[in-house]
Amino acid sequence: MARGLSGWLAARAVQAMATLAVVLILLFVLMRIAPGDPLGRLASDRPITPAETAALRARYGLDRPIAAQFASYVQGAVRGDFGTSIEYGRPVGALIAERLPATFLLGGVVLLVNFTVGIWLGALQATNRGTLLDRLLTAVSLAGHAVPSFWLGLVLAWLVGVRWRLLPAAGMQNPLLDPDAGLAARTADLLAHLALPALTLCVVSLAGTMRYQRRAMIEVLRFPYIATARAKGVPESQVLHRHAWRNALFPVLTLFGLWLPILVTGAVFVESVFAWPGLGLLAADAVGARDYPLLMGTAALAAGLVILGGIVTDLAYAMLDPRVRAAA
Amino acid sequence: MIARRVASVCAAVCALAGQASSQARPPGTVVIVTGQFASSPVPTTMEGAQSTTANQELSDQLFLRLANLGPDRRTADERSFQPALARRWERIDSLTIAVELDPRARWQDGRPVVANDVAYTFARARDPKIAPKLANLLRHLADVSPDGDRRVVFRFSRAYPEQFYDIVFHASPLPSHLLGPPSAEIPRDFIQNPVGSGPYRIARAVPGQFIELAANPNFLFGPPKVSRVLFRVAGDPEARMNLLLSDEADAIENVPGLVENVRRFSEAAHVRAIALPSSTMGYLLFNQRDRVDRSRPHPILGDPGVRRAIRLALDRQGIVRATFDRFAAVPYGPVSQLLWIREQSPAAEGQNLREARRLLASLGWSDSDGDGVLDKNGMPLALALSYPLTSEVRRKIALLVQEQLRAAGIRIELIRLEGAVWNERRTRGDFDIDFSSVLQDPTPSGLTQGWSCDGGTNVAKYCNPKVDSLLERAISDPRGGGATWQAALRQIEEDAPAVFLYAPLNVYPVSRRLHDVRLRPESPWIQLWSWRAG
Repeated sequence: MARGLSGWLAARAVQAMATLAVVLILLFVLMRIAPGDPLGRLASDRPITPAETAALRARYGLDRPIAAQFASYVQGAVRGDFGTSIEYGRPVGALIAERLPATFLLGGVVLLVNFTVGIWLGALQATNRGTLLDRLLTAVSLAGHAVPSFWLGLVLAWLVGVRWRLLPAAGMQNPLLDPDAGLAARTADLLAHLALPALTLCVVSLAGTMRYQRRAMIEVLRFPYIATARAKGVPESQVLHRHAWRNALFPVLTLFGLWLPILVTGAVFVESVFAWPGLGLLAADAVGARDYPLLMGTAALAAGLVILGGIVTDLAYAMLDPRVRAAA
Repeated sequence: MIARRVASVCAAVCALAGQASSQARPPGTVVIVTGQFASSPVPTTMEGAQSTTANQELSDQLFLRLANLGPDRRTADERSFQPALARRWERIDSLTIAVELDPRARWQDGRPVVANDVAYTFARARDPKIAPKLANLLRHLADVSPDGDRRVVFRFSRAYPEQFYDIVFHASPLPSHLLGPPSAEIPRDFIQNPVGSGPYRIARAVPGQFIELAANPNFLFGPPKVSRVLFRVAGDPEARMNLLLSDEADAIENVPGLVENVRRFSEAAHVRAIALPSSTMGYLLFNQRDRVDRSRPHPILGDPGVRRAIRLALDRQGIVRATFDRFAAVPYGPVSQLLWIREQSPAAEGQNLREARRLLASLGWSDSDGDGVLDKNGMPLALALSYPLTSEVRRKIALLVQEQLRAAGIRIELIRLEGAVWNERRTRGDFDIDFSSVLQDPTPSGLTQGWSCDGGTNVAKYCNPKVDSLLERAISDPRGGGATWQAALRQIEEDAPAVFLYAPLNVYPVSRRLHDVRLRPESPWIQLWSWRAG
């Protein structure tokens, strides 16, 4: 079994590398075909002479043929050098590394809430199907889902941050906090800054997980083996947890695989409204500025996470379902 | 039971968080929110994508210029400048200026600022491989030579009145003893922790979040009264505004003086607004050439009569009032409020719908099919107005323009484009009317870029040799060329290559805990060292 799984993992890794390579080639070519280039933004509001433009094109390597540019990019990437951001003038790897903690923190909290609270609430709805609680949770979660994240973020920032001054209105840390402050103070400060962006994303995303879990659980509760378990006198809590809930997790696992990349680059509006220094905003800026190296770096990361999400989901399936394990 | 526990944990976390994140500023500390993180605030490195306002504004805290613009911002009068690293200057002849450095000036490592530092900086600045923008701006500077430790002699290849402005404004001196040869890249370590001559040095930087500055106790003009400055970053204007209104910051970067913005911070008791001339100027640029075949004139806008009629049909004062209230003016010619030449200009022409209709009729435009849109030889008077989707100001004004021109029988199709696409089309000349917005340097000589026949940014291909001649004469006029500038503006207005719509003020909301606040239009925080923070 272990050999089978490791072989499967190796095959998936090779497949992942090939997919990533294709994605990067496509991205590289499409970016250069798309209208606009990195110098466009510079010329949009400041006079910039043709001589200056030519010098800058040479500096950024944009005057070379696309094939030569791609060859340089690949050579660098193999060495772990993903180029220098045109917009920031700094190595792409360093820029992404700086933003990852903020992104993973925000995305991680949202993911955690979704796959704990969301799953629990979805299951709760399924076991109380048709009751007032079910209808109430459905209404509340759908209302949250219907609210645009940027609007909810603006309202929360205004009400909680500006009007009531209960929590910071923006940022990830209080710059006035003593850098030598203790862990407790720094953690509390971080939590205070995290609260509003995380709440915004949780409110708008929770409904999806809840609906998936509710639907899956209702389906499973209809299966004959559940009726059999009940007929055999298995306690209801065991029926629900051991027999129903475990099997109802599969569709939600698929959702997890899809969520993983979205949480890294999909929080652009929330990051913007709360000045949260995450990768989403960096990626959006890179698109707007046609910052090719940074765009490639963030896109490669997002593509990598899509692939990783798929592998994690498959692995989780294999762990939960003996039939999948046997097939592997 | 569980709910009670969760509630008590939440309450405890909120209390702890509230305490930890208290953002009351101690005396002597100022927090400013900007839109971008300054990643390269070192003179001669702020080129290309690094040529940002954030870099320039931080650079002004770290590095002193040789001299600063005077209160009237007259770039053509060297007597109006205020001493900084240079304590005096002398014009030797029409091509030579000598500058004497202040002997008290020191780098932040204690070494004196010497003439070699100035020569070194200009060697870098004039190298097109190092600094293409600066090299172009300093193209008339022929030589920079130290004359002893304290004196520097600048020689020019041609006589013009803004020579002094060029040598003091564009490149603040760098410490040559800490850097390699002028042709070498400035090391990353120095860019992250520069040693300058200005009132502040970088104490701490958290990329993407904030930069903390500490006062330089040996600053040339005495220790700064504000001892600690934090430049926080919030790219979104709404987030910047929230940080100020929640009293987490003392000032925020230029907020467009839009009616709704001004209303929001005028309701906050702890904030006051300071309005300053802005370098921005917004205008509707008429394409002079056919969009497809650039060798032919534009089928509609090639006629100056049509262009003038469009200008007459627009109530520019009304547009400005509705958008900016009192925080903008209608410019006469392509002149922002930053340029000194605007002071002598007449008022912009007002709306005259009847005259616009008469003018169009005289040119053969009439509504022959009764659809409300004028036409001529089967061609409707229909034009596309393109603008970038990121600009809220332009979106609002474009709607007003569309509505006002409809009343004159002109159909306007609004084309809202992603920034890079908009700019590419604009550069290619693929537009009828482009809603442009430009940031101008304090010197009017930059007008040649957009409004002379061979101007590098003249994307609409407007060309009038008379204007070229007037601009050239104004730039070279040893007396500053005030009257010649006005003649050039008059001719541009006459030709109507664009409708100049708005020249706004920037409104800086500033906390009332700050005193002696003096802001400068060309670099708002440059005198921060003289403020007091209670």
